[in-house]
Amino acid sequence: MIRIENMYKIYRMGSNEVCALNGVSLHVKPKEFVAIIGPSGSGKSTLMNIIGCLDTPTSGRYFLDGEEVSKLKDDSLASIRNRKIGFIFQSFNLLPKFSAVENVELPLIYMGVGKKERRKMAIEALERVGLGNRIHHKPSELSGGQQQRVAIARAFVSKPSIILADEPTGSLDSKSGTEIMNIIHELHASGKTIVLITHDNNIAAQAERIIRIHDGKILDEGEVA
Amino acid sequence: MLMRKMIRDIKENLMAYTACTIVIIIGLMAYTSMSMAKDNLIIARDMFYEQYNFADGFAKVKSIPYTQVKKIQKIEGIDQVQGRLVKDVRVLMPDENKNVYLRLISIAQDEPYILNGVKLLKGSFPKKSEQAVVLGDKFFVANKLELGDMLTVVIEGKKIDLSIAGTGLGPEYAYTLKDGQEMAPDPEAFDVAYMPYDKMELLFNQKGILNDISFTLKSGFEFNDVEESLKAELKKYGLENLVARKDQLSHAMLEQELESLEKISGSIPVLFLLIAAIIIYIMLKRLVESQRSQIGVLKAFGYRAGEIMMHYIYYGCIIGLVGGVLGGISGTALSATMTRIYKDYFSLPDLYVRFFPSYFFTGVMLSILFCAIAAFQGAKGVLKLQPADAMHPPVPTFNKKSWFEKIPGFWAAFTVQGRMAVRNVLRNKGRSFFTFVGILFTFSMMASLLSLSSMMDIMIMEQFTKVQKYDVKISFAQPISLKESMREIYSLKGIKRVEPLLEVPVTLQYRNRKKDVTALGLMRHSELYTPVDTDGNIVDIAADGLMLSQQVADNLKAKTGDRIKLESIWAKKSPLYIEVSGIIPQYFGANVYMSQQVLLDLLGQGDFASSLIISMEKEFIPGLKEKYKTSQFISSIEEREQTMKKYDELMEIASYTISMMALLAVVTGFAIVYNTSIISLAERKRELASLRVLGMHPKEVLEVISVEQWILGILGIIMGIPLAFVISTGISKSLSTDLFSIPNVTSTAALIQSFFGTVFAIWAAQLWVGRKVRKLDLVDVLKERE
Repeated sequence: MIRIENMYKIYRMGSNEVCALNGVSLHVKPKEFVAIIGPSGSGKSTLMNIIGCLDTPTSGRYFLDGEEVSKLKDDSLASIRNRKIGFIFQSFNLLPKFSAVENVELPLIYMGVGKKERRKMAIEALERVGLGNRIHHKPSELSGGQQQRVAIARAFVSKPSIILADEPTGSLDSKSGTEIMNIIHELHASGKTIVLITHDNNIAAQAERIIRIHDGKILDEGEVA
Repeated sequence: MLMRKMIRDIKENLMAYTACTIVIIIGLMAYTSMSMAKDNLIIARDMFYEQYNFADGFAKVKSIPYTQVKKIQKIEGIDQVQGRLVKDVRVLMPDENKNVYLRLISIAQDEPYILNGVKLLKGSFPKKSEQAVVLGDKFFVANKLELGDMLTVVIEGKKIDLSIAGTGLGPEYAYTLKDGQEMAPDPEAFDVAYMPYDKMELLFNQKGILNDISFTLKSGFEFNDVEESLKAELKKYGLENLVARKDQLSHAMLEQELESLEKISGSIPVLFLLIAAIIIYIMLKRLVESQRSQIGVLKAFGYRAGEIMMHYIYYGCIIGLVGGVLGGISGTALSATMTRIYKDYFSLPDLYVRFFPSYFFTGVMLSILFCAIAAFQGAKGVLKLQPADAMHPPVPTFNKKSWFEKIPGFWAAFTVQGRMAVRNVLRNKGRSFFTFVGILFTFSMMASLLSLSSMMDIMIMEQFTKVQKYDVKISFAQPISLKESMREIYSLKGIKRVEPLLEVPVTLQYRNRKKDVTALGLMRHSELYTPVDTDGNIVDIAADGLMLSQQVADNLKAKTGDRIKLESIWAKKSPLYIEVSGIIPQYFGANVYMSQQVLLDLLGQGDFASSLIISMEKEFIPGLKEKYKTSQFISSIEEREQTMKKYDELMEIASYTISMMALLAVVTGFAIVYNTSIISLAERKRELASLRVLGMHPKEVLEVISVEQWILGILGIIMGIPLAFVISTGISKSLSTDLFSIPNVTSTAALIQSFFGTVFAIWAAQLWVGRKVRKLDLVDVLKERE
């Protein structure tokens, strides 16, 4: 499903070069639940951005569903993101002026789903994350946990095969965090490939496989017992 | 969906978008209204000229036999010729106080419309020998007359009653001025009246005689081609004046108006659209920066950069569309008002309110285009933004201390808010520059407009207090013996002083440049007529030679010492040659001056005067007017006070227009300051909210932004002073005509008024911004990631 070979990502900052990814190779199988773990500055966010087609590598190859995407232009990457990937961010990144249901509808509009149909799908998605009674609330009227649930609904409503979650519980209290992880497990059970990025060992332990990353290099990959 | 986002964004900052839209509305209103009014005038002019055969050239002669007119047609290039008898007569109106004149123009019964036809509006044409007229319609209306009413006029010293058979208009009096000295039509006091030739020749005792010739040219011929042959032919009949259509008074005034409409409708809208474009550019740039993470989310969910870009361009388009449509609608409405006002000034029968959708649509397209381009420029950062970067706040830039901060003691002069403001001015150079330019523009436009208004007042006041110091001026129908006329006037009651004045129409030529002007023969050391220069100093008339006003000198490109060719029908032998003895910089009147004696000697016709200027006791003026009202020797009795009143009325209209324009400058200033303040506020929400959290009052926080605006405002005002002088020069150049030049002066009063106007604009904008600062939701702002 996801295959990365010998990938480098180098940022230039003035005269300095920072090597965020240093020859990373990685393979994620369909329907797998993988956690990428590492301290801050380890390159895990860069890796996640590239996996999510939000960024392109400096060198190396990236195959998504057998298609090489590392050389694609912005517009082609945009349509891959729309069709195949759902994102969950640490800071939710909801559009502040839109209600919960409107935020969830966003990817559907872009896919060209009809008005009635997409409203129905968005409400179903919100009901699935337990927010059926909050659909018209604006992000500012929701708690952090609720906001993240809206973001999750938005991530899976367009039925992508991969869900990328970047520190999804990072901004939440432990109770909300547990709830969010439960929803992510449900998504995995329903057949989605999950790539979860975290620095929290307890969260990582809930995945099928843990990939440890440090200074832009993968240290080890291990099955979780 | 994105539409909805846009509407919500706009709603949140409605005032800023409205202010920007108003700037567009003003620009588009000017464009649409002036363009449509211009086209209305052009259509009316063309229809009138064509249907009523407006002539290509006009000549005035002393007298030419009816039978000789046909001969002119033989000159190569001349197509049709029409001879008429044209005479100015005084009308005795029940209101004795006012000087009222009619220009009687003969109409031939058998061939009424060769050239310069008459469009009948009411009643009918008089019968062949009926003592009746078709009266200019504006005069008829202004004096509240009825068909069949009698008008008493003075012809050859006798009171004659003329009945009003009808009313009408003619193309050569589309703008009805008595002569080039008048500034605007006064339909109560002057118009034309058409009368059968058979009756006119009898009344004026001019059987078979004409004094006015108009003609058209064959295609392929220009006025210049026939000018010399015509002159040669008409010389023996006492040619007084020969002009091409382009110099015909009414036509020239109409063209001048059209030209200024064209100029203004081309420049003002571009100026306002540019201002709006800059505002949009800044707003969009700021909006895109503040919505980085939203853009990131949209990109993450598959929206393409181009699509997000389009979304932001729509902001520009919507402002352009709303401003364009509203500006177009209000401009269309205004064009109707303007056309109606023109109807009061111009006697054009086909001058109706017509609407031209093309201007409306061009305006809207233009407005959308400007705004869309501005929005694109402002939002193009979206294209470059990588979705991964978009998720993070931008890396803050660190600035070094500016050289200002290194000036010892400079920093100490500011409060904390002041320092933040100064730093912000220096860090956002582009936006600071825009605010600065906006205030510069507001202030200098206002200062030069207000100067213009006050200087026009001063110019006229000066003319009537320093130059024309007489109470009454009596103009003679024909030049009259100087001594006799003086003696007669001195014999009247209440006379303090009488001076003869010699006003001689002359044609001056220097090298190949020619100019028709009035030569004023003034008494040396005159007390009642003393020309002044632009500094207000009285000019001494040289003992010999010719003194030119600056305008005439510029036209002829002549300087002191040059020998000038002078032709005049009043001279015994013509042409004559005379040396330029001085050039006088003057505002008013394109005259040339000579000592009266030198002029009389030059003409060689003996001692005579064309008018007398009189200083006298006020209470005796009505008696003087009564005594001479039917005199055949006197063509007009002009009272200085009445003339001043007429100018005052004109000035009032002009001042009103100018104040409106100055007000627009204030509105524009407000829009610019408000928008930049709002942007500044939005950019620094977090910083300002932090200050609030630390215990600053809203007023103190507002100071951070307002001090910034005031610094730029004061700079703009200071730099606006020299700019005001530059704009004044431009305005004075573009408004000056052959008849007068607008003084190029920026008055202190205007500068002070503009200072307050500009300060008001800034203050009003701050007031609105203050409301936003008070509404700042501290918790919300600080919770936001950016």
